[in-house]
Amino acid sequence: MQPFVFPRWSNKLVHLAGAVLSIAPLYLIGLVWYGASPRTLDVGYAPKQPVPYSHALHAGELGIDCRYCHQTVEKAATAAIPSTETCMNCHQRIHTRSPKLEPIRASAASGLPVQWTKVHDLPDYAYFNHSMHVDNGVGCASCHGRIDKMDVVAQHEPLSMGWCLDCHRAPEQFLRPVDEVTNMAYEPPSGQTQLATGLELRRAHEINPPTDCSTCHR
Amino acid sequence: MPSMNEEKRYWRSLAEHATSPQQDEARPEFEAPLAPPTQQERRHFLKLSAASVALAGAAGCRWQEDHLLPHTQQPEGVVPGIPRYFMTAMELGGAGVGLKVKSYDGRPIKIDGNPAHPDSLGGSDARHQAAVLGLYDPDRSRGFSTLAEGGRKPASENEFRGFAREHFSALQAQKGRGLAVLAGESSSPSLADMKARWQARFPEARWFEYEPVSSPNERLGSRLAFGKVVRTRLILEKAKVIVSLDADILGSRPDSLALARAWSKGRQPEAGKMSRSYVFESSLSETGAVADHRFSLRAEHIKPLAAYLDAELSRRLAAPAALGAAQSAPSAKFLEDPELRKLLTAMIADLAIQPGASVVVVGATQPPEVHALVHRINAVLRNVGTTVQYLEGLDSSEPSAPEALRTLNEEIASGRVQTLLVLDSNPVYTAPGDIDFSAALAKVPRTICASLYVDETASLCSWHVPLAHFLEAWGDVRASDGTISIQQPLIAPLYGGKSAIEILAMLSGDELPWGLQIVQRALAPVVGNAAADPRLWRKSLHDGIVPGTAAAPDHPVLRPIASFEYAGGALSGLEAEPGQLELVLAPDPKIYDGRFANNGWLMELPDWATKLTWDNALLVSPKTAQVLGVTDSTLVTLSMETESVSVPVLVAPGQATGSVKLYLGYGRTAGGSVAGRALAGGSVHGEWDDQASVGVNAYRLRSKRLWDFARGANVKPTTEKYRMATTQDKHTIDRIGKFGTDDRLPMLVREASLTEYEEHPDFVKHAVHHPPLLSLWKDPVKYEGHRWGMSIDLNKCTGCSNCVVACQAENNVPTVGKDRVYMGREMHWLRIDRYFKGDPEQPEVVNQPIPCQQCEHAPCEQVCPVGATSHSHEGLNDMTYNRCIGTRYCSNNCPYKVRKFNFFNFHEDLKEEKNKVQQMVYNPEVTVRFRGVMEKCTYCVQRIQEGKFRASRENRPLRDGEVTTACQDSCPTQAIVFGDLNDPNSQVSQRKANQRDYSLLEELNVRPRTTYLALVRNPNPELG
Amino acid sequence: MAAVGDLQEWQRESGAADAPAEPKDYRAWQTESRGDNPFARITDTVIRIVETPKPPRAWYIALTISLCWVACFLVAVSHLVWNGIGIWGNNNPVGWAWDIVNFVFWVGIGHAGTLISAILFLLRQQWRTVINRAAEAMTIFAVICALMFPALHIGRPWLPYWMLPIPNQMDMWPQFRSPLDWDVFAVSTYFTVSLVFWFMGLVPDLASIRDRADTTGRRLIYGILALGWRGSARQWHRYERAYLILAALSTPLVLSVHSVVSFDFATAQLPGWHTTIFPPYFVAGAIFSGFAMVNTLLIPARQFFGLKGLIEMRHLEQMNKIILATGTMVGYSYAMEFFIAWYGASPYEQFTFINRAFGPYAWAYWTMVSCNVIFPQLFWFRKVRTNIAAMMVLCVLVNVGMWFERFVIIATSISRDFLPSAWGYYVPTKWDFITFLGTFGIFFTLFLLFCRFLPMIATAEVKAIHPAAHGH
Repeated sequence: MQPFVFPRWSNKLVHLAGAVLSIAPLYLIGLVWYGASPRTLDVGYAPKQPVPYSHALHAGELGIDCRYCHQTVEKAATAAIPSTETCMNCHQRIHTRSPKLEPIRASAASGLPVQWTKVHDLPDYAYFNHSMHVDNGVGCASCHGRIDKMDVVAQHEPLSMGWCLDCHRAPEQFLRPVDEVTNMAYEPPSGQTQLATGLELRRAHEINPPTDCSTCHR
Repeated sequence: MPSMNEEKRYWRSLAEHATSPQQDEARPEFEAPLAPPTQQERRHFLKLSAASVALAGAAGCRWQEDHLLPHTQQPEGVVPGIPRYFMTAMELGGAGVGLKVKSYDGRPIKIDGNPAHPDSLGGSDARHQAAVLGLYDPDRSRGFSTLAEGGRKPASENEFRGFAREHFSALQAQKGRGLAVLAGESSSPSLADMKARWQARFPEARWFEYEPVSSPNERLGSRLAFGKVVRTRLILEKAKVIVSLDADILGSRPDSLALARAWSKGRQPEAGKMSRSYVFESSLSETGAVADHRFSLRAEHIKPLAAYLDAELSRRLAAPAALGAAQSAPSAKFLEDPELRKLLTAMIADLAIQPGASVVVVGATQPPEVHALVHRINAVLRNVGTTVQYLEGLDSSEPSAPEALRTLNEEIASGRVQTLLVLDSNPVYTAPGDIDFSAALAKVPRTICASLYVDETASLCSWHVPLAHFLEAWGDVRASDGTISIQQPLIAPLYGGKSAIEILAMLSGDELPWGLQIVQRALAPVVGNAAADPRLWRKSLHDGIVPGTAAAPDHPVLRPIASFEYAGGALSGLEAEPGQLELVLAPDPKIYDGRFANNGWLMELPDWATKLTWDNALLVSPKTAQVLGVTDSTLVTLSMETESVSVPVLVAPGQATGSVKLYLGYGRTAGGSVAGRALAGGSVHGEWDDQASVGVNAYRLRSKRLWDFARGANVKPTTEKYRMATTQDKHTIDRIGKFGTDDRLPMLVREASLTEYEEHPDFVKHAVHHPPLLSLWKDPVKYEGHRWGMSIDLNKCTGCSNCVVACQAENNVPTVGKDRVYMGREMHWLRIDRYFKGDPEQPEVVNQPIPCQQCEHAPCEQVCPVGATSHSHEGLNDMTYNRCIGTRYCSNNCPYKVRKFNFFNFHEDLKEEKNKVQQMVYNPEVTVRFRGVMEKCTYCVQRIQEGKFRASRENRPLRDGEVTTACQDSCPTQAIVFGDLNDPNSQVSQRKANQRDYSLLEELNVRPRTTYLALVRNPNPELG
Repeated sequence: MAAVGDLQEWQRESGAADAPAEPKDYRAWQTESRGDNPFARITDTVIRIVETPKPPRAWYIALTISLCWVACFLVAVSHLVWNGIGIWGNNNPVGWAWDIVNFVFWVGIGHAGTLISAILFLLRQQWRTVINRAAEAMTIFAVICALMFPALHIGRPWLPYWMLPIPNQMDMWPQFRSPLDWDVFAVSTYFTVSLVFWFMGLVPDLASIRDRADTTGRRLIYGILALGWRGSARQWHRYERAYLILAALSTPLVLSVHSVVSFDFATAQLPGWHTTIFPPYFVAGAIFSGFAMVNTLLIPARQFFGLKGLIEMRHLEQMNKIILATGTMVGYSYAMEFFIAWYGASPYEQFTFINRAFGPYAWAYWTMVSCNVIFPQLFWFRKVRTNIAAMMVLCVLVNVGMWFERFVIIATSISRDFLPSAWGYYVPTKWDFITFLGTFGIFFTLFLLFCRFLPMIATAEVKAIHPAAHGH
């Protein structure tokens, strides 16, 4: 029986294999880095809400301050979703017949909550505190994006640990005067760069966000 | 990230729970503070579900009626996610302790003592700490039920009301003839008020008060001595010499928390304040553990000992004739013991030279005449008015508990009882062996039992009424000094339970149905008309005590005490006599009379002295064990007269020779899935499976003759062994191990006598000699800002173990069950090491709490391959559960072995529908750990964060003492202090400046942040 | 060595390969084929094992038993992953027990292979040639068993990749101060290199199988595996070079791997772990156990596959001498540990060793000492060294002893460390046993398959040292 001999074309295979073996790892890393990163997976998540509430309308056109509804944002860890009463404050006079508002009216009548869907969702072992950020001059828009331009709220940032650390390591990139936090269209004072104002604020208010594990995980 | 998914899966179940129909029907009751669940992070679902379930329970309830007055730490009022604090009180065996409860969005999750309350002063014991778990116990009765053929069947509240209305109006017509009530002892004014009204309505009804753990002897003794009942208050701060005759003043009195604080004030050598205590006791107690001189003496020997003291002291101090004749020194054999004699002579001299500066206390279980005599001794020592004060007491003509039950039993036997109402009492389980109460119950046509659980008694009663937990109901209690506290509910009844007063109101058709009204009516004399002018009422709620309700001082006149008769073995010698052993039955330090038996936290809490969990064992002294030919875990037959039980032996140093001890409260047959349940029909809803009882029921041994202790017990060893789970000395230490322990103990627990301390205040420095400690690298962290540290004063630690449960409650520490404790997998973040020294019959005891030492050069941090445990810039040794992959290397490398590993998912059972309610007990500020990760003490980092946030929101620096750890809060003696080491004025910095300060295993140069203040005892120099 | 190349050429041309008809019994065949060309005989002896359609009965029996244990292992692992580490006996304080014991045990076993193939090769120890192939195979299989434990012993076995430096959204990196991380790299490197080394050595023999192949399947499989080996002088030249380089590469690894493994303990502060003697001590121990295992495997192998002619008594004796030597080194380390404990004057250290010898685990300690130090002394006697039964028993005992050594170091030290209050005692559960024996199942399965389908002996090298290769 004729001993096995590699056919000519198999020489090409060798080169091909070489190429694949050298590229595969890079490809894999790329896959993990981008493909599996929250930036790819989570950003843009915009679930349908029971009520087509438009931030673009309320926060944008009508210019209602974020804190009118999310009142606890300066005091507590969570920025409370407004209770039905808050909606009804206005809507018992405005658009009292709008079918879109039916769930709100129903809720007001029955006392059952409106089941909103959570958009910005951190893992349960990550303890984020709104008040600490808002009170130190991190603008709403820095994490939530231009809510005032969103008809349907969508996740704007990856909310990944790396993303948190980016800011905790150099908060000056995002700091703004505390009274500007809810200003969606905030720009640093003319002639000044964000970095300059940021550093100034950081120095002024001694803002040194810790990066210890226990800062967020307990 | 898998870990995340795991956690998610776990919480998702909660989400489902929160949106269960239960909750929806509850919505209408929702008050503003509770925002809808979907806005909250999933983590917070449990607290919402808590409120919802609560409200579900409150079907058509009083929620709107009731007004809670928050103890506002957050002046801005109710903010979701920001806890509020309320004052309430918990009663046990007729005395109440004021508590401060942390409520997280309408859900009580943590309990501490009320600093303003005379019996707490801020301290709290394990039972207070564990009360929240009891509240959310899934085994609690979930509704009314009635006895039908073929077991119990659930009934609606209205069915019961219907029955009650007709039946009790009929009873009223016949003046309540044939009606009897069996209730526990209580100090509650409103219960007393209801009782009065009840008796007015049913004049011929009988009312019995039975408390399984109750000793009327104090009351009777006081009558003997003064002809009336007075409350005795001890002023331990002022006492230079404390003599305890079988009295555990620091551990098991209603006012022990306060006494422990007072005692600790007198244990500060640097301040020149060092009291000296002599303790004579039959079994090791917390008081004995911290005593300067302790002598193990049988309980039966206390009486002649007291007589001897009286005789000697009266002679030495020339007792005034007004006090009547002194006892004559008894010729007791044990008094001839040279050691004891030496001790007594020295002690008597010690007492005699400082009149008015000593305290003599006798244990509640000792006979009345001894109590009377001790009043006399204190008078002779001129202590009355200085260290011993008397307050007016309530003299009740009620028969003592044992008699009460007997009389009721006879009443029933003679068919004079047609209707029996059992209020929060479990006689079927707690009755002495010579009373078959289940048989008695069967003779009563109509029995109504109001209880938290469908327990041994309830399951035999024709009606069961769910009782409201004290955190669910309005009420009031009296402190040991008579101070009234209002018990306000933290949450609406989870299962529609009713409080005792409400049930009485319902049955007697009172015009006021609601607890709140009843309490306000009863307290009108002290708080005025709350409806008209609520100011005093609100203040009382807010402070947790009703001002000016303490009993007035009393100056009773001592009567001559008849000279003693001695019976039984009172005059016997010290040696053990098999067959004539003294048997002591005492309430369990953890589960009391058994009512807390279904509380996992308490069951798994290592007994402070024996470190035993999940069992009660016969405590036997080493010498006695030798005589009886038994050793650890030998199964023996313990018999007293006709009754006998089979129980494992635990050789306990410090147990008096010839005296054996067994704790009550175990061997429940319808206790629940933790305590054990073997009773058919115990389950109303049919979701219960039988469960072996934990421990043995010691009540069986009780009889007319034996209530607290008596002579004549017999121990017959068997060849069987029984497996007990202890958390220390797991396997009887071999010779090598003992040698190793003795060798290093002086380095671990540093100790000196007061005189040594005065000569060398820096003695701790010389306990260990090691080469200069050099580090391989410069400190990576500078520790600007805060530098957290802890100091534990061994001079103040009584080993009570309250802190262990406090830690468990604060940090969601799981219980693992007996078998896993046996394997060495208990999860407590804080353990209390207990070491014995010297003669096993008369040992010295030291206690050393061991939390994570938060090393600056932490060995655990070096070895974690994924950096899951790391150093914070404030010097905390952070543990990041969600990063941990569970190599356990950190634990191996931890010299203190304070890291605990989740060998399984210890929260598995919570996935069961019926257990969901228990999730409400979790602290939402702390991650619930999944299996396979390491965990450990974090210095309550969530509290540190919370404190820093608060300070930053209020734009001010963090104040010293603003951030406290859970263990620190619970400690009655303030042995634990936590704070910022960068602040030279902080309490902890000053503690560490103390010369007694030393760090454990300092020679390893791991630089622990937790350090200890060395133990200084104050033995009598003459006995040196 | 070029000569060998020519021989190969010659061999194929002369077609010596397909000489005699296939006999039923190898021994019979050996005796009758004595006269033949020695090289052909060598090739034949080795390669016929692969070619024969029907291996000896013993092989089937052994394989079945091993496979059963593999099945048990799979059950145990699923149970473990599903329920958690709790199914083992580990506790607090004994965080590491059989899991890590087995890991160290298997890594140790691995060493002999590399030592034989690399170091002895560099030292021109010719007797090694008959055993190096099998020894290397054993290395690979042992390391496979070892590598499973670091992954399985962790609390969350789906996350071991966190120990690797992979960029991720958490911005988290492994902590390189941890010896466990060093392990990951040390052992995986070791595994890769040994694998390559082994496979390279196989190539010429695979070629000869290919050339003798009579079925298409075998022709194809071995053909591809042989990577087109022609045995030309040029190829041999390259081969020798590569072989030399790889040998040089793996030599330091032999020493490094077990040194690094020993760091897991040496760098900890635990009395009984924290000692500088560990690296050499562990390496010596590893070689000790490795050689014992080689013997344990080869003695039956040469019996059943009729390789007595090649694996001669002198080879076994050589190895027994090494076992004697390394065993004595290990004994010295044991003594030294005690001396240092006493000399170091740390009460904790001293206690640890007294406790080791006389405490609750004394039985384990004395098992270890007798198996590792006392019994091997018998190898001083030539009679024992050259007695198959005796050496088999002793080698098995050594393996037992070495397992106990790891157990003693890990479990006894940690069960009683600094604070007496935290002392505990470790008792294995049935799952500990199943997991451990399961790895033996894997090991033997792989080895049996190796015996059956790959040339157990490096024919080329054997030929090279055969008298016939050096003109008479």
